Amino acid sequence: MTPSKLVFRNITRRRGRFVFTLLGITIGIASFVTFMAMGGNLKREIHRETAALGASLMVLPKGSCGYEQLSILTGDQMPTNITVDEVKKIRDIKGLTAVPYLSQQTAINNRPVSVTGIEPQATFAFKRWQMAQGSYFSSEESKDAVIGVVAAKQFDLKPGSTITVRGEKLTVQGILAETGGRDDAGIFLALPLAQRLFKAHEQVSYVAVRVDNLAQTEAYIEKIREAVSLGVVSDKQMLKSVMGIVGSVNITLQLIAAVAVLASAFGIVNTMMAATYERKREIGILQALGARRRMIFALFMMESGIYGVIGGVSGVVAGLLAAAVATPYITQNAFTTMVKGSGSGTLIDLKVIIYSILFSTVVAILAGIYPAWRAARLTPVEAISYE
Amino acid sequence: MNNIIRTEHAAKTYTIGEITTTALKDVSLEIPQGSFTCIVGPSGHGKSTLMHLIGGLDRPSDGKVYIGDMEISRIANSDLARLRAKRVGFVFQFFNLLQGLTAIENVEIAMMLAGVPDREQRVRAEELLALVGLTEKAGSKPSQLSGGQQQRVAIARALANDPDILLMDEPTGNLDSVAEAEVLDLLQTLHRQGKTVVIVTHSDEVAKRAERIIRVKDGLVDQ
Ligand SMILES: Nc1ncnc2c1ncn2[C@@H]1O[C@H](COP(=O)(O)OP(=O)(O)O)[C@@H](O)[C@H]1O
Ligand SMILES: [Mg+2]
Repeated sequence: MTPSKLVFRNITRRRGRFVFTLLGITIGIASFVTFMAMGGNLKREIHRETAALGASLMVLPKGSCGYEQLSILTGDQMPTNITVDEVKKIRDIKGLTAVPYLSQQTAINNRPVSVTGIEPQATFAFKRWQMAQGSYFSSEESKDAVIGVVAAKQFDLKPGSTITVRGEKLTVQGILAETGGRDDAGIFLALPLAQRLFKAHEQVSYVAVRVDNLAQTEAYIEKIREAVSLGVVSDKQMLKSVMGIVGSVNITLQLIAAVAVLASAFGIVNTMMAATYERKREIGILQALGARRRMIFALFMMESGIYGVIGGVSGVVAGLLAAAVATPYITQNAFTTMVKGSGSGTLIDLKVIIYSILFSTVVAILAGIYPAWRAARLTPVEAISYE
Repeated sequence: MNNIIRTEHAAKTYTIGEITTTALKDVSLEIPQGSFTCIVGPSGHGKSTLMHLIGGLDRPSDGKVYIGDMEISRIANSDLARLRAKRVGFVFQFFNLLQGLTAIENVEIAMMLAGVPDREQRVRAEELLALVGLTEKAGSKPSQLSGGQQQRVAIARALANDPDILLMDEPTGNLDSVAEAEVLDLLQTLHRQGKTVVIVTHSDEVAKRAERIIRVKDGLVDQ
């Protein structure tokens, strides 16, 4: 017999209580891990999407804030407040390349999918796209669609398939080669067709701008502002404000998870208190057999610590499963589109795993201190007194 | 003869809130090494309290308690724990065993607490269970044992670290006469092997076998 064997015997004596207490901490840690994993993916995706835009500046309607900027990255529906005339004014400035986009959404088989109206040749060059199957738009006024490789897989589409957007049947002309970004999950139409279908005559959602001389980026922000009455942000500003939004959402989610872990800590306190009451007499027997207070304290601490370790491990496993399994099914919105669109699946740091297990163990140990102290404080005669 | 246990004017009062109970008033006694002693007396008069004091499970409020030459009423808590682990074996009236452990594990735990390494415990525990005639029940949980069998496991456990002194608080109080006789035979064997046996009892059967009888009444003794 060893102290750890004794602890294992004791902890499993009440199967139901053991399982439910463990479930509490497992759920707490699982939610923690899920949110961390999703948050981590989101940040990675934002970096990737920002880079994939290939733009140094973004022109948006005046007064746009971080949420509009986030929508650019997620492919969410956006207002169409920029006129073709304004696009032309931007293009008149020398030393930059400007590409307009009309960002909308539609549904295929009841699943939301982003639809982007583009200028075929300009965008193809700007984004350095390549084709995987079929061919690209034949003209700037094409009535066909080009789709991303993930969208093709998702809806089982091939060149020649038809899709319905806003009640109009369109032929899939080609499938883009994998970009690794959100474009893979999108549908692209030539701008005139998109403007007609979404009733945005002569209008676009935003304009991506690449400045020839990157060192002059700041100066170009001013130049564009002088030319048109629109908002202009650099990719760095955009990254910062979008990360700010994601960060605050992340922190909120992690706080919720922390509350869940805290609640489960009280579950452990409860279980351990019940154990000290139930085993009061056994504590006395151990003392009569020569156990010191230190030993009694250690036995109860180990017991609560085990909840932390096992709960931490099972919580990490459950959390990763939840992040991997649930993420693709979460309804599309600004925050989840990217996680969902991520081709690499759920990635998680070893650090997150280790932190989570440590976190759970520390919480369980803290939760165990008071009950263990109560147990160790009993005098042998108090503990042994028949009652 | 050498006195292994000795008390000098030992007294014990319990204070719970405002109420003070005097369990022992003034007890001076001597118990020789290797003797078979019974402590008898009416319920609530301080027998258990006396047993706790001489086994180092509790400290007197006043007076002194010795085991051999050591004044155990003055030693540190951790030394008292070591004394209980190595020199004294306790058996109580009931619920002696840890319910989550098997019979043999209950014996092993006493060795664990005395610092015997895990791998050395099993063989000795098997010997002890054989001694009390429970080899077959080694893997049984306390709930699967009769009252008499449970007490025999408790005695095997009390012997685990080969203590000089066996202290028993009504060990047969819960048993029928057949089981009681079995336990008493076992205790007599141990006594013959040189153990000092002290039994608190109500039973005439038990008292009949004693060499010496200590009568406790109202927190006092007359030997
Ligand atoms: N832990 C305790 N706290 C308070 N009073 C106690 C405690 N243990 C015993 N007593 C009191 O001390 C007296 C003697 O008790 P005890 O030694 O158990 O008697 P006996 O074993 O002879 O029945 C009783 O009045 C009992 O109520
Ligand atoms: Mg008693």
